[in-house]
Amino acid sequence: MKNLLAIFRNGLWAENPIFKLIIGLCPTLAVTNTVENGLAMGLATSFVLISSEIVISIIKKWIPNDVRIPSFILVIVTFVTFTDYFLAAFFPQISDQLALFVPLIVVNCLILGRQEAFASKNPTHRAIFDAVGMGVGFTWVLVVLSLIRELLGMGTIFGVEVFGAAYPEMIVMILPSGAFLTLGVMVGVINVIDKKVGSDND
Amino acid sequence: MAESDRDSVKRLILTLTVIGAFGSLFLAFVFTWTNPHILEHEARAREEAIMTVLPDAATYEEEVRNDQTFYIGYDENENRAGVALTVIQGGYQGMIEVMVGVDPNREEIIYISILDHEETPGLGARITEESFKENFRNKPIDDYELVNRTPEEPYEVEGIAGATISAETVKEIVMEAGSIALEHFGGGS
Repeated sequence: MKNLLAIFRNGLWAENPIFKLIIGLCPTLAVTNTVENGLAMGLATSFVLISSEIVISIIKKWIPNDVRIPSFILVIVTFVTFTDYFLAAFFPQISDQLALFVPLIVVNCLILGRQEAFASKNPTHRAIFDAVGMGVGFTWVLVVLSLIRELLGMGTIFGVEVFGAAYPEMIVMILPSGAFLTLGVMVGVINVIDKKVGSDND
Repeated sequence: MAESDRDSVKRLILTLTVIGAFGSLFLAFVFTWTNPHILEHEARAREEAIMTVLPDAATYEEEVRNDQTFYIGYDENENRAGVALTVIQGGYQGMIEVMVGVDPNREEIIYISILDHEETPGLGARITEESFKENFRNKPIDDYELVNRTPEEPYEVEGIAGATISAETVKEIVMEAGSIALEHFGGGS
């Protein structure tokens, strides 16, 4: 059990997909201009990640090595299409906001990467812990990023005004360049924390 | 050797086919489950847009003329309360689709509603805000011009700071919708 928790915690910090593995950056940079979008993208990606890792870890012994990547993609694309339909049917507003970025979860290298690095080599229960850990790790970074960007860019959180109407909006923060600025500073801060605290806490 | 190679190729094809078949089967079920909801949302969004841009209409009828669909609104006394139509043009990042309500008798735009767009949140996306759409309320059909101050002339439209292309596109769409509506319904017909 301790072992499983270690797998879960791995994704939160030590091997966090965004600021440690630096993968899955396209949606990270693109949709984190509002907290609502960041959270929705994090949850959608986590759902696809968890479902795919479960299926891959179950069927891995029947997949020949030569076609493992196309097989992973087929499984992932099935869940992404499901997510796309599901959001459009039950959360049309979020679906409108994320638009193209939902189908693009297919090519999020976080998902393919975890199938290759983990799900295809581990039993299902371990794959679930890995997927949930990575999913939570991905989601929290997206939420923090979008929190900073929405707050500085528009003075709001979840669309609610925080700084009052007189706040001078920093438009650059909600444009793509704001994503690079915020992510860069965040990765820097996290490296400093790691240096200060040391890696013995991992 | 050759025999086992052929076997393995068969196996590769078989694996991908089986996964693909299961995936498609699953998605077929998901599609039949979600599609009615999706169509319902689209229909409701369109109907809400028609009622927004034709505020005097109680009912409306669809009519297709020259491949252009018109929604003709009628008030309680069965009088025509205006004509609504959608026009699509390319904006800054994607297509902008606008429902435009037109009063062909008075040759005026009644109001507009943005159905679909992919403009930058916080910038171009402000075309969906009341303050921008109010520009076109009861506006005579004309060649409009974007200005970055409060409009003084009837043909002036107040743009959006930092989103000239998005505002320009909506302006073009409204002009086009106005002239299409006049062409088909103008002259008191």
